[in-house]
Amino acid sequence: MAIAVKLDDLLHDRRMTLTELAERVGITIVNLSILKTGKARAIRFSTLEAICAALSCQPGDILEYLPDAAQEAEAA
Amino acid sequence: MPRSHAVALPVAYVALRILIVLNWLGGAAILALLTATIVAEEWTMTALGITPASPIRPMLMGLRAIAALGLIGVPLNHAVLARLVAIVQTVGRGDPFIAANAYRLNAIAWALLALQLLSMVIGGIGEALSTPDNPLDLDAGFSINGWLAVLLTFILARVFAEGALMREDLEGTV
Repeated sequence: MAIAVKLDDLLHDRRMTLTELAERVGITIVNLSILKTGKARAIRFSTLEAICAALSCQPGDILEYLPDAAQEAEAA
Repeated sequence: MPRSHAVALPVAYVALRILIVLNWLGGAAILALLTATIVAEEWTMTALGITPASPIRPMLMGLRAIAALGLIGVPLNHAVLARLVAIVQTVGRGDPFIAANAYRLNAIAWALLALQLLSMVIGGIGEALSTPDNPLDLDAGFSINGWLAVLLTFILARVFAEGALMREDLEGTV
């Protein structure tokens, strides 16, 4: 997947644990872990909105498009 | 889940299992009769009370053909029933919207189509054998309900395939 999730960096910057974020956002740690490890296939706008509100950031701070990863995925 | 639905599932499972056994037993009976009319024709005719002067005698080859075609229907019926059992089991596990069920429904639709064609051939033979003096009343031939069931099953298979895809997408959604 060419979309990288930078939740780890954001949590580190905000000195926040995944458990705390899960409580604030209102979704399970399991689902947040799926998102954090890049295993999610899609993200709801409502989830994105809640994470942005909890971490005081923009969607672009959480997600990043990596063209090289896309090319590697196509080659594989 | 309403109580009637909770009961319907085990009832359907048991009924389908019974139908599978009855289907094979019926097939074995047809095979036995067909074999007997070929291997020991006179003995079988006497046992069935069919005299040499009986109007059934000239129909014998046609009736054998109908019996042979009936045998083809046995594995087709089994294909339908066995897949229905598997589908009922997935409903019991609470996970029916899977790709496997879409493939099963598609296979059921093809088997039903083959059964309808078989029924039309058998009906045609019956018509050919039947005379005004000796009408042969077979429960076979073109059936609008049968063809509707074929169409419905093909559509249902497609619905299941789409449903399984949508569910797969939803599972990866956070």
